[in-house]
Amino acid sequence: MLVQILINGLSVGSVYALIAIGYNLVYGILEQLNFAHGDVYTVGCFVTFSSLMIGWNPLICIALGMATGFAINLGVERFAYRPLRTKGANRIAPTISAVGVAYIMRNVVQLVWGPQTFMFDLGLFQKNSLHVGNTIIGMLQIYIFIIAVSLMLLLNVILKKTKMGQAIIAISQSIPTAALMGVQVNRVIALVYGLGAALGVIGGLLFCSYYEFIFMGIGFMFGTMKAWQATIIGGIGSLKGQSSERLLWGLARPLFRPISLRPTRMR
Amino acid sequence: MKSDNKADMKKLALFAFLVLFLAIPQVVHNTYMLKVIINVMLYSIIALSVNLIVGFCGLLDFGRSAFAGLGTYFLAITLTRYGNFPFFLAFFGAGLFSASVGWLLGMLCQKTAFDYLTLITLGVNEIVRVILLNWQSATGGAIGIMGVPSPNLFGFHFDTHRRFFYFAYALLAICYILIRRLTRSHYGRAFEAIRDDAIAASYSAINVPKYKALCFSFASFFTGIAGAAMVSYTNYASPYNFTIDESLIMMQMAILGGLGSLPGCILGAAILIIAPEISRTIYDYRLLVMGILMVILMVFAPNGILGKNGVGERMVDIVRIRRAEK
Repeated sequence: MLVQILINGLSVGSVYALIAIGYNLVYGILEQLNFAHGDVYTVGCFVTFSSLMIGWNPLICIALGMATGFAINLGVERFAYRPLRTKGANRIAPTISAVGVAYIMRNVVQLVWGPQTFMFDLGLFQKNSLHVGNTIIGMLQIYIFIIAVSLMLLLNVILKKTKMGQAIIAISQSIPTAALMGVQVNRVIALVYGLGAALGVIGGLLFCSYYEFIFMGIGFMFGTMKAWQATIIGGIGSLKGQSSERLLWGLARPLFRPISLRPTRMR
Repeated sequence: MKSDNKADMKKLALFAFLVLFLAIPQVVHNTYMLKVIINVMLYSIIALSVNLIVGFCGLLDFGRSAFAGLGTYFLAITLTRYGNFPFFLAFFGAGLFSASVGWLLGMLCQKTAFDYLTLITLGVNEIVRVILLNWQSATGGAIGIMGVPSPNLFGFHFDTHRRFFYFAYALLAICYILIRRLTRSHYGRAFEAIRDDAIAASYSAINVPKYKALCFSFASFFTGIAGAAMVSYTNYASPYNFTIDESLIMMQMAILGGLGSLPGCILGAAILIIAPEISRTIYDYRLLVMGILMVILMVFAPNGILGKNGVGERMVDIVRIRRAEK
């Protein structure tokens, strides 16, 4: 029983870790609460969902969703965050414009796709499961874990080894100094926002395929808030701490589920 | 002399405006309009209390609605369970209860700062919401508490919309004056010093943890009172009113209006209450309107409308430049 709970927790936790990494990229660099993260990647997830409905190849659909998230965050960064940054506002002001963006995105999803809950199936993963003794491990759980861990490792390598990654780290240490060293601050920050949203779309899609549903509210409660909590507890700007905490949190959730007073309400 | 004269004129204009505002219930007979105005006034008190924490002490607090909930339920429980409990006592008790919980939170958060504190306030909000929802014997659970009596001060019932208007008006005025006095006392100076630089403040003999706890408790007092006033207006306490979304909106009011500016809070509350009401006719696009409004306001006035370099100051600058040109 305990092993089963641990396995379930690990797979849920790795989904949340993916969502939180995108959040943490921005948060670690600018110390800005990005309340729009969840709702932006929700739009990407819905684009994937729609193109899946048309019957395209799932991989193309995922790429399309990621591209959508990327593009939306580039635009949002340009019109809602960058003016504030160049004006030298305090760090609370972008929070409010981010909440505004979140409202806009949620409303767009509601207007285009409607507020109802849809069944979601990527069609990429096998539905069978492995039986090891008493514990059951779904193939989907294994895939999710592998995808999450490999993406985390990939991101770590990008940050450590590539020029762009070093530019991101330089900006996180000091924006003026990075600008003096020839880093194009605005472009890199926009890219980080885009990358965060793209990673968020993958996390969101895995979340949706794990629970087999998609609706307009997956962004705020399941995305933004949990990503933010994970980031703070795991360590702001630290990828490792953040993903390990996320895994921990994922473990804690099903463990405490049996003793919680009533099932968590979907919001 | 001239500037004295100007200040006098300003005061006179303000006084005239306040008196004219008093006449609103006599002129406006539309209950809906009155309700919106009363809501703006009550939320203004909460926005003022948020400003005390976020604008003056520089702590980001996402759990304000929890304290409104504590005040709400203190008043509702005392007045509905204990027959002849005097309203005045219950009302102040709500404020004091909320303040004591705020003080406790402040004591707990003495050593925490930055976003870690924000996370704690968020947790407190969720704890309070779940307690209100699940402690059925005391709070009535999801059903809430019905039949909370209207304000009754010295034998006078504020039971109609018009009468309650005056109650809310007086309450807002008293709270505004108290908070204004507070921010200009040595407490307020200490809060501002902590906001600007906690380390420098501690070297200026300011007991930073103590003042943080005090700031939380002062602000929670006003939030609790506003919550109590709200429930005595709607006569119904529901646990669903005290969510994180609500806290976010309360914080947005203070930030939109301008951190550190007291009149800004009232303006911010007015914008965030009236905007959704106006856009009720285009219900599906309501969030869109709110979102676009928030983004535009923030981009053009990053420190709030009446804050530093906000729209207010910019307009004064424009007038000055025009005059200099003449």
